[in-house]
Order: sequence, then structure tokens, then C-alpha cells
Amino acid sequence: MADADEDLIHAPANASAQPEVDLSDETQDFRFLNHLNFFADSSPGIPRRGEKDFEPNPTELQADVLSASRGAMHNALSYPRLHGAKTRVIAFYAPDGYVPPAQPGRAKPKAGGEDGKEDGKSSESTPKPARPLPNSARISPDACVYVPSPKGQFFKTMGQADSSSRVWLLPEEALYLIERGSLDIRWPSPSASAAGPGEEDLSVPMSLQAAYTCFMGRGGLTLERYSVYTGLKRLGYALFRAPGWCDDMEQQDAAVSDASELTSPELHGPGLAGMLGSLFNWIHDPRSTASTATGPIIGTGIHRHYMDVYRKLAIIPWYDPVTAPERHPSDTTPPFRVVFHIYKPSTPLKKSALPTPDFRIAVVSTRDQTTMPTMTELGALLESTPLDPPRGEKMDRMMYMRLRHGYRNVVMAVVDQGVVSYLRIADSAFGKEKLYENKGGPQGPKRNRTNQKPRKR
Amino acid sequence: MMATPVTTMDKTVAAKSGPASDARPPRAPRPPRPNFRQIHQFPLPVNVHHVPPVIPHNPLSLISVVLSYLTFLISPPRQEVYSAYFDKATSSIHVTDERSINALWQMGFFGKGSLSRSEPSWLAREKKRRGLHNGKTSEEITRLRRTERRELKLERARMEKLAIEERLKAEAAAREAGASESLDQAAQSTPTGDTTNVTAAATEKFSLKKAKEARALEAKQARELAAQNAALAGQNQPETSSNSKSVRFSPVVQKKEFLSTSPSSLQLPDSVISNLDADDFPNEEHLQLSNEEAFFLAYSLGALQIYDSHLKSGEIQSTSPTTTAALLQQFCHHSFQPARDASASLQPDDPFMISYTVYHHFRSLGWVIRSGVKFGTDYLLYNRGPVFSHAEFAVVIIPSYSHPYWSETEERKNYTAEKQARSWWWMHCVSRVQAQVLKSLVVCYVEVPPPAASLDDIGALFGQYKVREFLIKRWIPNRTRD
Repeated sequence: MADADEDLIHAPANASAQPEVDLSDETQDFRFLNHLNFFADSSPGIPRRGEKDFEPNPTELQADVLSASRGAMHNALSYPRLHGAKTRVIAFYAPDGYVPPAQPGRAKPKAGGEDGKEDGKSSESTPKPARPLPNSARISPDACVYVPSPKGQFFKTMGQADSSSRVWLLPEEALYLIERGSLDIRWPSPSASAAGPGEEDLSVPMSLQAAYTCFMGRGGLTLERYSVYTGLKRLGYALFRAPGWCDDMEQQDAAVSDASELTSPELHGPGLAGMLGSLFNWIHDPRSTASTATGPIIGTGIHRHYMDVYRKLAIIPWYDPVTAPERHPSDTTPPFRVVFHIYKPSTPLKKSALPTPDFRIAVVSTRDQTTMPTMTELGALLESTPLDPPRGEKMDRMMYMRLRHGYRNVVMAVVDQGVVSYLRIADSAFGKEKLYENKGGPQGPKRNRTNQKPRKR
Repeated sequence: MMATPVTTMDKTVAAKSGPASDARPPRAPRPPRPNFRQIHQFPLPVNVHHVPPVIPHNPLSLISVVLSYLTFLISPPRQEVYSAYFDKATSSIHVTDERSINALWQMGFFGKGSLSRSEPSWLAREKKRRGLHNGKTSEEITRLRRTERRELKLERARMEKLAIEERLKAEAAAREAGASESLDQAAQSTPTGDTTNVTAAATEKFSLKKAKEARALEAKQARELAAQNAALAGQNQPETSSNSKSVRFSPVVQKKEFLSTSPSSLQLPDSVISNLDADDFPNEEHLQLSNEEAFFLAYSLGALQIYDSHLKSGEIQSTSPTTTAALLQQFCHHSFQPARDASASLQPDDPFMISYTVYHHFRSLGWVIRSGVKFGTDYLLYNRGPVFSHAEFAVVIIPSYSHPYWSETEERKNYTAEKQARSWWWMHCVSRVQAQVLKSLVVCYVEVPPPAASLDDIGALFGQYKVREFLIKRWIPNRTRD
């Protein structure tokens, strides 16, 4: 199974020791699979891939390498994948969504994980309708699979526990777990109630195909969103649904607030010398001959400084992301809406109190939305994210970095028939960086760069 | 034991072989760069007269300030105004006066030489070609670099081919021997002494640097092979050439290399040179300004006068320069292909209006903004100028029709939807190209206002547009994981 390298990703101590390997950028050399020990916990880490041959040549060496790779792949695939007795997790499908625990005094499983502890004190819940219960408020109405006795690391970042410490899984979470072979989902048994004591023996396991049929399309889960979810999940990220998940959120105020205005360049108060200077400036003020109607904008008089010239040139209004009002997520156009909050594997997480996400992601299907967003759509998407101005010593120093970072940012996953391209979109305000005020020259001498990588002008 | 005969053979073969197979001499150090800081010290073609500093405790400084003002009062310095003409055929502005060309290029990097890559350098290149001038123009440096790189790539391909051939030979030998020993051992047992080197190298790939290093070795191997082939009377020759990729220098590359390494060989015969007078040939090149650049110079800076037709320098200017309002009309009409009729009314979303808005925006912030057509974008942004640093940002422009006017009728809605539509494929193409050339992609949306009532006030007209920049970059989840 592919668990060995995934487990490594999840273990931050181990992962940090590894050199950074971008697996997707390297060529696929499956011979490395032979060196993986699927049983031992002390696996040496993610192996490096091999080198790339660009075209076939008639050497036996290449043929050997090819057949060895093929053999390794077959070998890895032919390995029997089983639910181990120790790690086996059984879940039940609840087609009607969340149902509160049937018996209030039902015995809790002894092996309740971390999530069980969270809800330990709220075990005296009564079988009232589910939604109003305070302790079950966190359980999404879209959840449709529950795990009576959760164990294993997956439930650190997935699922919501209810009052009887059952963990409820959202469709994408259940599908992801069943797809990677970490969950055994059972159909609800037709006769007995779901909470019957002998349920495990009677219930029928759900196939992967059935899982796709049941979960895809349920509660707003599209194939595109699932591709993004599972892709990032496998890379070790933790993903949670964002408030913008539902497309049919009611529009609160459709009126586009156009409060943002051009910030006119501020002129600093003049000192004594400045006042004297302005007096003299008055004699030959280019402004007297300046005309924006027919030009020249800067006038024909004597210019004292290039800064003044540039200040006079600023006639084009620009958008200032700082003064723009923040929008509610519902105030966006559906495909361009944050649907997932993403956390890096290294971010410490607590499901009950999620920190600020590391990334926010919107998922767009190129077949439904064939064109790039318009400025209104893209602007609304960015304004629904919190302000994240460039900060820090490095950012203060480097103007290019500030511009690249921007004031707000969002990741857009463009899914084209299963192929996901991620684009980071940042709201960078070039108008806030007055290049002409920069005393220092360019960011670095050109010569230093030439020995890094040939770069075109 | 093998060493001595090989070296002697080396010499004989080297003597016989042509110049192409010889290792090229090491590259000569580049000539010192001109002082760009000095040449391009002014960011705009506008004269600026600094006020002498006022030092409060030194009354003399005050006097110097007053003096400087008095001199300006008596004889105000004149702002240089350059002249150019509009060429309808290319729908661009031509500057033919030598002094204006230099001024516009040096102060703000406006325009491009009609016969050059960017800086007008045709005259220098031509002089050099005629042997009147030495020193390298930027075109030549670039060409040299490209030739070098291409040659190295060919070299790498040749090395790979050689390694494969050696490998094949070794495998064939192993098969013949029928022994169970490994291929590497078989390779060692082949008659040629140096093949182990090659087979060892075959297992790893060749970087360009490696190709460079291996060049000398490779030349030696090739000569050996040639000698062997001659000795074996072409026994292996047809076999190897039939089942492997043939790599050779294209005649173009050879010619170019020839040109760049030994320019003297291309010089005209001495008799011809002596006939030519050093400065007797005219400069055939002119500076070409894009319409945005020209409008910026004319309207914003007042540093350019544009005439309708080309006048010889000696002629008296009979016509007056085009007014900025007429210029705007003209440029807007010429922003379509073919140019619109002069009677057509101006639309707020004429391509020129939008592109000039962006041009002016970035110029007014201090960027040197030049066409990005080489990278498939609308503009490139340089910090200070192309001679100082590479462009960091590439700008593409997308109009935006968010004003309610544009969604009033169904017809307008369809029109604007078509105008702002950009496909995802286009977006990916642009962003991948920019990543390849290490530039950051800026998608610049320009908010188009409803049609204006009057076109008299150009400043007010452009004041209605609004610019918003988004920086779009590929996000690679593997790299941001920490």
C-alpha cells in the first residue's frame, strides 16, 4: 500500500528531515517501489526518483531499466491490500444524514480516540431533534457516514464527533478514506436499527463504486471539488469546508459597494525651507501652464525634481485593496467562492478551534465556467478573504516580494476534466509602491543573476 | 602502453582534421560595459533643475538660491521638444533625427530601433561590419551567447549518442562472448582502451556544463574512432549509423559560429575598405515609437511634437504639429486593424484608450514600461530600464465592464461578455511562459467607463478609467507544504 510514504508526510518530525522533493516534477521511476519496505516502520523516507530518458534507444540497458520498472510496479500493485485486524475501522452509512444517538445511556466504546474525550462531558444528551442540540451543532447536515469507534490518525483532521463520540464524516471524507483503503463502510442493515449490538456481523460492506454513487453529488460535493480535496489531502494538507461551500447561499446585499476611492498622493507639510522653496516655485510654477485637458500634464515650466513630475503624472485612478470593504462570502459569484480552507501539514490543528487557514481555495470547473473571471467576480472573491498585507522585515526590504505577495490572496483550483491547475491570485497594488521614490537602484545587479539561470530580457 | 601511440595518432589526425572538429578557443573576456548609470541618469526626457540647498545658518546659501532663481527669471531654460511623424502604413511614430533618437532612448527608454532588437544600434553594427569600429553591440552579444548555448546542446546530444553507441558495442561484445559476466566487465574487455570512461558516463545524464568539460575528451574519442574506422575499413560504419540518431551541426550553426569567433575573416578585402569613407554612409535606421509611448511623450510630458508627414531636416515646418486631441482620435482609430475611418466616434473601450491607461499608470509610478510582445504579454515592467535589470513583471490587460451602464441592455451585456472573455487555456499558456522566463504575471483589469459626453478634457477622460492589478502565479502544493 501507499501508506508508507503518506505516513511519513503526516509525521512532521520525520518529514522535516527530508530534503525537499517535488515528486510531480520528476520522472516516474517505479523501481524505487522495490526498495520500499511496506511493513517496517523505519522506512528510510521518500526515495528519490531516477533519471529521465527522453527517447527510446536500442540499448539493452534501457530495455532492462524499463522492464525492471514495470516489474516493480506490478509487484507493488499485486501486493494484497487488506484491512489489518488492528487498524481496521468500520463505519456505517446513514443515508438520511445525521441522526442523534438512539439511547442516551448507550455504552461508549472504550477505545474512543481523542475526539471521544472532547465530547466526554456531553454524554447526557436526550433524543431530541438533532439540529438544535448545542453539542451536535458542529455536525454538518451533509454528514452521512459515522464511525462508532474511531481510531487512527485520520480523525485528527477529519470528521465531527457527536455526543456519543461517534465520528460523523462528510461525503468527501468518507470517499477519501474508503478510496485509500482505510475505512470499511457498511450499508445500513435493513432490519435492525443502526445502533444494534450485533451489527458488525450482519451488515454488508460497501464497494468503492457504490461509495462513489452514494457520495458524489451529495451535499454539494462535485467531482472537481473531490479531485482537489483528495489531491491535497494525499499531499498531507488538512482541508475543511469553508462557509462558501453551498452555492445556494442567499445573497445578502447584492449592491456592489464602490466605496474604494483613489488615494491621492499625499503631500507632506512644508517646513520653513519648503515654504521658501514653494515661494520660489511660484515664480516658475509649471503648474500654471499644466493642463490635463490638452497636455502637457506636467506643464512647460521649470521642474525642480523628478518626484514632482511623477506626482503630477498620477492621473489614472487605481484600486486600493486596503480601503476596500470586506465582503461576506455569500456576496460572491458561485464558482468563484472559497470552498476549502487549507492547512499545511506542519500547522498545529485542533478540530474544535480551527486557526486561520494557511490557504483558501476556490474550485472552478473549466467545463462549466469556460472563461476567466471578470474583474467583478475576481474582486469579490478576493474581498471575501481577510486582508493579508505583506509584512515582515524581508517584505519591507524587497519591493518585488511585496508586490508578489499582495494584500489579499486566494488559490484557485482550475479543474479541467480531472486535471487540476492551481493558481495563486494576489491583489497587488502597484499604485502603493512608488518606484520613483526608490533611492536605491534595482534589486540586484544584473551580472549576479546571469550566472544563476539564463534569463531572457 | 597504449598511451604513446594514441598521442602520436592524435597529432596526425589533428593536423589533418578541419577547423570544425578543433576545440574552440576559450571565450575572450567581455569588453567593459558602458557606464549605464551615467548614460541613463535621467528617467524621463524632461529637464529638471534642482534648487541649491538652503542651509539656515549659512546666509550665503540663500543668496545662491536667489541667484539661481534670478538667472531662471532672466533667461528661462528651454525644455527640449523633439519632433516625429506619424506613419500610417505601420501605424507607429517615427523619429529620424539622430539627437532625438539618442535622447528618447537614453532618458526613459522610449521606442525601439527599426533595424535593431531594442536599442537603435544599426549604425554601430554596420560600422563594425565594415571594420571601422570595434566593440560589441547587444545584438552581437546575444547572438554569441545563443550560438554558444545551441552548440553546447548539440555537443550534449552528440555525447549521448556516442555513449549509446559504446553501450551497444559493449552489449554486442557481451552477447558474442556469451559469457555470464556483467556488461561492465564486458565493456572493459573490448579492444578499445578508453571505452570504460564512456560507458560509465552513459549511465548518467549530461548537463551542459558537463558537456563543456567533456568536450576535449570527446574530441579525442572522435579522433580515435575515426582512426579506428579507417583501420577497420568501414566494417562497423553502416551498422552504427543506421540504428541511431544522427547528430550533426547544421550549416547555419557552423556559419554563425564561424562568424562570431573570427569576425575578421568576414571583413571586406582591404582594397574595398580603403575605398569606403569612414562616415560616409547614412544611418538607415530610425526610432519607432509605439502609439502609447508617443502619446505619453506628447500629451503627458510635452516633449514630443508629432507631424502628419515626414519632413526633411532642412525643410521649414510648414504644417503645425498635431494637437493632442487630434492625436488621441488618430491613435484610437489606428488601434483597430484595419484602421477605422476618421469619422468614427471614439468609444471608451477603444484598445488604445485601455492600453494607454495602463501605460500611463505604470509610467507615472516610475516603471519603464515596454512592449511585452516577445513574451506573449502586453507589457513588460522594468525597474529603471532594460540595461539595468531584467523585467520582473509581465502585464496582460483585460478590460472590465463593471459600470452599470454596460449591463443595461441585453445587447451591451453580450458585447461586454465577449470583450472580457479569456479562456483558461489562454491563461495557462501565458502563465507558463512567464514562469519559464522568470517573470511574474500581472493581470491588469481596466474598468471601462460609460461613453463620455465630451472628449475635450483628455485628463478627465482618462481619470474615469480605473486600474486594478492581480498577480497570478502557479501554486505548487508540493512546494508550499513546508
